[in-house]
Amino acid sequence: MPLAMAAGRLTARSDADLIQASRRGDLSAFEEIYAAHAGRMKSVAYHLLADRADAEDAVQEAFFKIYKAAGAIHFESGLAPWIYRILLNCCYDTGRKRKRQAESPLPVDPPAISANVPLQVAIRHALARIHSQYRMVFWLFEVEGFRHSEVAAILEIPEGTSKKWLFEAKRELKRLLTERRA
Amino acid sequence: MTFHCKDLERALAVPELLPDAREHAKVCEACRRELWLWGEISALAPGLREDWETPELWPKIRQALVAEQKAAKPHGLRGRLAWGGDWRKMAGIAALLAVAISVWIMTYARRAPAPAARQDSDFLTEQTLKEVEQTEAAYRASIDKLSRLAQGKLAAAENPAAIPAREKLMVLDSEIDSVRSTVARNRFNAQLQAELSVLYRDKQDTLKEILQSAE
Repeated sequence: MPLAMAAGRLTARSDADLIQASRRGDLSAFEEIYAAHAGRMKSVAYHLLADRADAEDAVQEAFFKIYKAAGAIHFESGLAPWIYRILLNCCYDTGRKRKRQAESPLPVDPPAISANVPLQVAIRHALARIHSQYRMVFWLFEVEGFRHSEVAAILEIPEGTSKKWLFEAKRELKRLLTERRA
Repeated sequence: MTFHCKDLERALAVPELLPDAREHAKVCEACRRELWLWGEISALAPGLREDWETPELWPKIRQALVAEQKAAKPHGLRGRLAWGGDWRKMAGIAALLAVAISVWIMTYARRAPAPAARQDSDFLTEQTLKEVEQTEAAYRASIDKLSRLAQGKLAAAENPAAIPAREKLMVLDSEIDSVRSTVARNRFNAQLQAELSVLYRDKQDTLKEILQSAE
């Protein structure tokens, strides 16, 4: 058996064990799940909410829901997609709450893509200008390092759509970055 | 194959064509720059990731979960209600409970010949329970039908906006499973039956919203 496949199986088994233990109220097992995923979850939440405090709130809420719903998980697509689906849902809720709480919501324009900033900063600015679906797939695949199968499972889209949206995201980014140079 | 600048876009989408594109880029400055940029976007992307320390986050989560466990232990149902129930849900449960008890009193308690035959007001009689279970089975079948219709709409949607609805259904299904397993161990408890009804109604409303939004 290839090593990667063996490692994958081991991860799936230990994820299942951790969830089983969490279901029985073992918080140290749940802390292991937290330790394995919280960093990346904060980053994804920050990408969606653009505020660290909001991102932390969303992650906290997500872990609470994950713990409560641990009995409902199906391991066909692994633990991570399930966890991130819950996180995205919490981020959307937090975003909606924030919108309601804002007294005078000001439309925020994405920053201009200047030719004088480093390329990485320009990519960040350009990302704010592309379609949100493309941006989400780009973020999960290129920034967070998920595989297309995982992105597809998280966003509940076909794997081919994930690939297509990633291509569209990069094509849009390339166009915007080429324009800034021109 | 003779590679032209106009083929570059297609080559970026089809990895098999990339060697030809790279060959062409050796003699074409514009395509070389495009290819370089395409690679740099992916190469620099991981650097966009946000990392920061939050040593207080896990203790906060742990504290909330410990409080939840403590609340759930002596009164399992109360714990569940405290987590998932806002005042509307509580009010709905209270109203349903009131109706269930009233129906029970009107139908059976008045007819009861002797005090010994009476049951505790928190519990349903065998006959009422049968009716409740039959109604629940019929209700569940109609919701399952609705669910199949909505699942088709959800599966067809390639929009991340559909995720909250799917997620809510998942959490509701989990709650329904949990309450049903508790009901199976304590079939006569009217409160549990009432809570189950509220959850079913919540699911029904969610499914209706999905179907309406898909129209």
